Amino acid sequence: MAVGLEEFLDTGGFVPHGVCLLWRPDILMLHVASDVLIGLSYFSIPVALTYFVIRRRDVAFGWMALLFALFIIACGTTHFLSIWTLWTPDYVLEGLVKLVTAFASLATAAALWWLMPRLLALPSPRELEASNRALALEVATRREMEARYSSFFNNLGEALFIVQVLPDGDFAYEAINPALARIGGLDPEQLRDRRVRDAVAPELADLVIPRYTACRDSGETIDYEETLDMPAGQRVFHTMLVPVKDAAGRVIQILGSGRDVTERKRLQEEVVQTSKLATLGTLAAGMAHEMSQPLNVIRLWTENTLTRLHENLLDPARAERALKLVIEQTDRMGKLIDHVRTFGRRDGGGMRAFHPAHCVESAVELVRHQYALEDIEIVEHAGLAQLPVTGRPLELEQVILNLFSNARDAIVARRASGEAAGRIMVAVSDDPDRQSVVIQVTDDGGGIDPSVLPQIFDPFFTTKEVGKGSGLGLSIGYGIIDGMGGRIEARNVELESGSRGVRFTITLPSQPVSSSDREFSHA
Amino acid sequence: MPDPFHILIAEDEVLAAMALEDFLSFKGFRVTVAANGVEALERYASERVHALVTDLRMPRMDGQTLIREIRERDAALPVVVMTGYLTQDSDLTHERWKPLEIFSKPVNPRTICNTLNRMLGLPQEV
Ligand SMILES: Nc1ncnc2c1ncn2[C@@H]1O[C@H](COP(=O)(O)OP(=O)(O)O)[C@@H](O)[C@H]1O
Ligand SMILES: [Mg+2]
Repeated sequence: MAVGLEEFLDTGGFVPHGVCLLWRPDILMLHVASDVLIGLSYFSIPVALTYFVIRRRDVAFGWMALLFALFIIACGTTHFLSIWTLWTPDYVLEGLVKLVTAFASLATAAALWWLMPRLLALPSPRELEASNRALALEVATRREMEARYSSFFNNLGEALFIVQVLPDGDFAYEAINPALARIGGLDPEQLRDRRVRDAVAPELADLVIPRYTACRDSGETIDYEETLDMPAGQRVFHTMLVPVKDAAGRVIQILGSGRDVTERKRLQEEVVQTSKLATLGTLAAGMAHEMSQPLNVIRLWTENTLTRLHENLLDPARAERALKLVIEQTDRMGKLIDHVRTFGRRDGGGMRAFHPAHCVESAVELVRHQYALEDIEIVEHAGLAQLPVTGRPLELEQVILNLFSNARDAIVARRASGEAAGRIMVAVSDDPDRQSVVIQVTDDGGGIDPSVLPQIFDPFFTTKEVGKGSGLGLSIGYGIIDGMGGRIEARNVELESGSRGVRFTITLPSQPVSSSDREFSHA
Repeated sequence: MPDPFHILIAEDEVLAAMALEDFLSFKGFRVTVAANGVEALERYASERVHALVTDLRMPRMDGQTLIREIRERDAALPVVVMTGYLTQDSDLTHERWKPLEIFSKPVNPRTICNTLNRMLGLPQEV
């Protein structure tokens, strides 16, 4: 076999290829130069291809490039052998190399056709560029959106937070915005992914977890007002929780926002206080009169007594009577002073249980004399009123005083138009079902024009001339009654005497009072 | 001894009226008390009155109206006004209501008495 191969390779019988070219130097040069150039070029191509495949690791079908390299090297080699056989007749070797080249070419060509569909499926650079551009656009849009939303999240003054509902139903903070971090003195990074109970103070956790639970269980948006102790002091928030559900309808996230309404609350209280002071202002004139009366009595009786003393005509019985009178008068003044004092005071204290009848009585007492001077009679109709209500007694008294002063204004106006008027009726009674207490204030001041009746509770609605009416009385009264869970209504009534007027009805729910706060107080 | 001067007091505050009545009677005046303007006018109509001491704010008829009514009948009747508060715009300080003096409450009964004496041309006490 080995001998066979040697025989096969034996070139003894051949002549070099140069013979065919008659050893013409020009023809030889042409062949040699061309083959050298072709061969070198061929050899350089696989180097470039390999370099490309190595540098671009991600190139698809890299093995194909290597196959090409092999095929081209083989081709190159055949050209060098062509030069070689010009002088040395190694035709067998040349034939074998060509055979190798043939296989490599065949394999390459076959592989190329086999790969063709997949090569066609590869995106062309232009397609790539287009899709790249689309991608870049999408990225930009998303970035912009994210920037917009994150700037919303980061810059909004409102406190925003995202609470994750964990699989076990517990809550963890996902994110809080800088506003909340600032107000709450919290560190967003420290809070992230921590359970609410571990992340914030236990008192705060006790306040917020029941709200999150309510939102999680109801699956509905809830909003409420809460007073929280923050590092920056006590703040009142109007908080809203919005549940986010998964496909199965389970609440997986809660989006929360809290608006700091501390300032607004304060202003509201301020308005109540201002109107109270305004009411006080109108009362002040009457009050000056009220105070001058007992003072006058005191002065007259002491002067009397002193004169008789000087004349030696003072008997003990007379002196005692005078002194008792003086004491009585100081009591009367003391009461008035107390009243003004408590009335002007900010009633910021908590709600408590009290009997509304006491407020009514107190209000009547405050204005009865003053109104009598203007020939306005306050008639009290004492029904059975034993149920307590919850609220701030001075505020209720303010509401009733304002109803009185409205009634008085109506009466004075009616008289100015030549009609008789001058009665204010006030009644307090328990509802027959014993669930609520009803206070009615009725006047004979002519009533309210039905066209403005729906507006009288609006803030700043007044039919009185500038300086006389602020239009705040009823709106504030409405707020106060509403805050007590009750309602206030007005309607025109026809009275038995034939005159007409307005009846204001205040209905206050009576909460059963626990024995601990059965300490009633009245203003 | 001549008949004492008759003073009409219009004052709705009973205790004040009583004390003043007591004081002025003690000083030798005859005193009648009315609780409001309407009553005072009735008394004025039925009896001879030498001077009026009146409050301003009273039910039924206030002092201002009472004074106007009385001035229509008697331009020279001495009037002493005692008032808890005098509004800025009250025109009682005007000349046309004279002879009229105004005192704010609390009043000193000796001052009232002296004023009445002076207005009625009686000798002053100290
Ligand atoms: N008893 C009443 N009789 C007639 N009108 C009334 C009565 N109470 C309230 N009103 C009407 O309702 C309006 C609003 O009342 P309120 O809020 O107390 O403001 P104000 O008294 O300052 O005008 C009054 O201007 C008046 O037109
Ligand atoms: Mg009012």
